[in-house]
Amino acid sequence: MIIRPVRVSDLPAIERMAHDSGVGVTNLPDQRDTLFERICLSVRSFETDVATYGTEFYQFVLEDEGRLCGTAAIAAAAGFSEPFYSYRNETLIHASASLDVHNKIHALTLCHDLSGESQLCAFFLEPAYHAHPYAAQLLSRARLLFIAQHRERFARRLIAEMVGWSDEKGISPFWEAIGRKFFHMDYAQAQHLVATRSKTFVAELMPSYPIYVSLLPDAAQHVIGQIHPDAELPWSILMAEGFEDEDYLAIFDGAPTLVARTDHVRSIAAAKRYFVRQAPPSSPHLQPYLLANTATAEFRATVTAGMVEANKLYLPAETCAALGLREGEVVSALSVDESLC
Amino acid sequence: MLVLRPIAETDLAILLRFAAAAGVGVTSLPVDETRLAQRITASQRAFAGNSPLAEADYLFVLEDQSRQQVLGISAIRGAVGLDAPCYHYRIGTMVHASPALGIWSQHQSLFLSNDYTGCAELCSLYLDPSVRGQGFGALLSRARFLFIAQFIDRFPSRVISELRGVCDSQGRSPFWEGLGRHFFQIEFAEADRLTGLGHKAFVAEMMPKYPVYLDFLPAEAQAVLAQTHPDTVLAEALLRDEGFVQQGYVDIFDGGPTLVAATEHIRTIAASRCYQLRVVEQLAATATPYLLSNTVDQQFRAVLASAVCYHERQEIELTSGVAAALLRQVGDTVRACPVPVR
Repeated sequence: MIIRPVRVSDLPAIERMAHDSGVGVTNLPDQRDTLFERICLSVRSFETDVATYGTEFYQFVLEDEGRLCGTAAIAAAAGFSEPFYSYRNETLIHASASLDVHNKIHALTLCHDLSGESQLCAFFLEPAYHAHPYAAQLLSRARLLFIAQHRERFARRLIAEMVGWSDEKGISPFWEAIGRKFFHMDYAQAQHLVATRSKTFVAELMPSYPIYVSLLPDAAQHVIGQIHPDAELPWSILMAEGFEDEDYLAIFDGAPTLVARTDHVRSIAAAKRYFVRQAPPSSPHLQPYLLANTATAEFRATVTAGMVEANKLYLPAETCAALGLREGEVVSALSVDESLC
Repeated sequence: MLVLRPIAETDLAILLRFAAAAGVGVTSLPVDETRLAQRITASQRAFAGNSPLAEADYLFVLEDQSRQQVLGISAIRGAVGLDAPCYHYRIGTMVHASPALGIWSQHQSLFLSNDYTGCAELCSLYLDPSVRGQGFGALLSRARFLFIAQFIDRFPSRVISELRGVCDSQGRSPFWEGLGRHFFQIEFAEADRLTGLGHKAFVAEMMPKYPVYLDFLPAEAQAVLAQTHPDTVLAEALLRDEGFVQQGYVDIFDGGPTLVAATEHIRTIAASRCYQLRVVEQLAATATPYLLSNTVDQQFRAVLASAVCYHERQEIELTSGVAAALLRQVGDTVRACPVPVR
């Protein structure tokens, strides 16, 4: 099972996954033309030398025995060409010394704070692989290894939008309480607009003044910061990486937008470089490693058993073959906690 | 005869009784003896012309002189918001539109404002229920305009009046429940009491400072926005007759409308004239009703009575009883405005 950059020939598989991902996964709309454009942009991005990051989009696929079973991407700068809108989850203090009253007021303020940050997005793993020991970890965290090795291509902070809570019928109480009043359309329709037109279009129609949470219906208040059950997997992986989910919310469904300092993300901070050595067959003390080569357009990542000795990583011969690694080549790797696998 | 006069110290007991009877929402009449006594003192200073604008608080009482019984009160504040800030919500409109998406929607929002800072305010109108429905309320309210007309230099260019908003018999305000309550965990009656005690600005500081979209308020709160309490509907009609209009400002607690008028365009003020007094035994058959006042401050008196006006000669004929009630003698100046205003 390996991670590699997406290719134009992957379009049918990507289209199938986009369809299955449902509503709300950022940058994975069920829209062939848009997906094709994104793939082309990704191919160009992997091939380009980047001095200052900007519009690049890096899409990865998870390949199992030659078949695609997942995808994930990084947008180098969210909202590079147009502002990236979020609600800042704020606490205002209304205090009066003379009345001896001190109130905490919860408000959501429309902001552009996250514009220009690098965005982890378009995460989709076929449900059949959710129980796989490390498929989800590999798919999500291979991106972090890529970032670790190409740090100059990415921003100071990483963000990731989650799919927010909605019921079986796809109704989002947050959208019903806020967005619908300004759009007179369904959440799914609005998401479609966002995916196919521009998010800015839509955001500019949203209330521009802070929203006092206590004025919202209970159902909407309850789902603020809540994720859709399907988002549990990507959410838990990133939270374990040290992302925070308290400060920013998606403007449509109230889902948390995760944020972390790029250099503090655990996998990025922990990734080390090793020289590859082929391990003798049946080596003892092998442990699981998440590893990636140092290439860009030919980027590959996988999870494999290996053994570290000083600055050398001993790998089984078949792993070296799968990743096209030769003796003495440099790889980026980190030990994967057994419990994570 | 019913006479409007400045309040006196001896009126404290009746003022306290009126305050207790006025109920929740007549904010400027707190049931607080010390506070009311202070208001009387302030009023006496104001009538004497010794108050800075911010402290000028003119309190009038309507007295049945034959029975020496006070039937009602009314007041004018020289200017609001010059000490503690004066807050209103302005109901503003915002259009969210995107031609590209085919979306156009209009949203009303409440913007916290101090726009009426420095305006004079008509307030504290209360008429004993036992004498309501006899036109005394009009005298109580409108006679204030003769005072303003006479001392126009003491007053700012605009006058406002905050009308009581809708609340139920328990004093529960749907607007407060839908908005203020979320920011201040007290009852509306308590907020109103604090306001009457001069804490309105403090209470206002606890309220939302960012515009509040009406879309986010419950339907019951939206329904009473800018609606007048049934008990205050007559007072509102009277002010509208005088030319007061609603310009989208409401009280921040109960959502009641605030009316405003340009001082010199208030009809009674614009239509009132000064005449030289002549006293007659009996008025000519052509006599018609007039709102009348004398032209002095501390001994101000106003009545509603029949009179004959001679515009060319600038003379007015009154009976001796009316002249006496106005504390005027033959040859003195009397201010008059026909009723209804012509």
